[in-house]
Amino acid sequence: MSENLHDRGLHLIAKARVEGLSESERDWFEAHLRDCEFCSEHSRQTDRALRMLRTAAIPVPADLARRTQFRVLLRASELRQREPHRRMLWLACAASWIFGIASAPYVWRLFEWFGQRTGMPKLVWEIGFGLWWTIPALFAVIVMLLENARQSEEPNWMKLDQ
Amino acid sequence: MRDESKTIARGLRQRDPDLLDGLIEQYQYRLFRYLVYITGDTARAEDFFQETWIRVLERGHQYDGKSKFEAWLFAIARHLVIDWQRSKKAQSLDALTDPEQEQPLQLANEKEPSPLQQALAKEDEESVQSSLKKIPAIYREVLVLRFQEELQIEEMAGVLSIPVSTVKSRLYRGLEALRGALQGGAA
Repeated sequence: MSENLHDRGLHLIAKARVEGLSESERDWFEAHLRDCEFCSEHSRQTDRALRMLRTAAIPVPADLARRTQFRVLLRASELRQREPHRRMLWLACAASWIFGIASAPYVWRLFEWFGQRTGMPKLVWEIGFGLWWTIPALFAVIVMLLENARQSEEPNWMKLDQ
Repeated sequence: MRDESKTIARGLRQRDPDLLDGLIEQYQYRLFRYLVYITGDTARAEDFFQETWIRVLERGHQYDGKSKFEAWLFAIARHLVIDWQRSKKAQSLDALTDPEQEQPLQLANEKEPSPLQQALAKEDEESVQSSLKKIPAIYREVLVLRFQEELQIEEMAGVLSIPVSTVKSRLYRGLEALRGALQGGAA
């Protein structure tokens, strides 16, 4: 039997297990296996290898699930404690934006008055007015950074041993 | 399957403790086995097992229930292992294909030997385990996902974040490597 036929046979042995065969491929493959002892043996060995892989047992530590459930429970409790803080932060931001929009005309006049009073160029106090709007966002970023810093200081029993 | 996935997604969004407990029980063997095969170390696999479930709790809202839960679970576990490998050795899991750098499989659990499981099909187990040591991690991984976890090729592509064609070529090579390794072990 030619090398080409064996090569095709070996390829189809793998293909049958990886992605399946078309009908024509299956017909050829089955006929080939009947005639070719080499490929037939190869197919049996592949089946045996996969059967052994499927049935190979790995012992799971007896209390692994229980320990994991306990850790997950602790972490869930931590997350629940943090949730009100985060909600408060978002509420504070929202209130700040709403207040900012409502007070914008007055703040504009205040900046204008201050600019005229100090003789500041118009562009400078206009930029100042623009920056005024970033204050709530800056505040939120600072709070989040502080919170992250606090979290990283906590004992991290989740870290893996190096 | 779709209903079950949706139920899981809903429960994870709500951080339902009963659902999480049930999932940990349900998937403990499959996840642990997968982690043992990709880390090559049972002690390390235990750490990653716990860390994976912590991530599931924290990022449960990201699971949409459109795909199989186990595919999402394995993807989380895999990313954790890769992150750890990168932080430890500044290299990815894929880079561990170099047999000289790869950690050997250490499947025996020294803390808790399992006489029953050792007695059962011991010869086959030893043969498979010693053969798997010889296979590079990326091939071991695809073999486990395909033939133990029975994931579809498209699902595997999602877990591994690689194209379907790459999954297939790894499977072909992995299959060949496994068969070769088992033949070598038997000889």
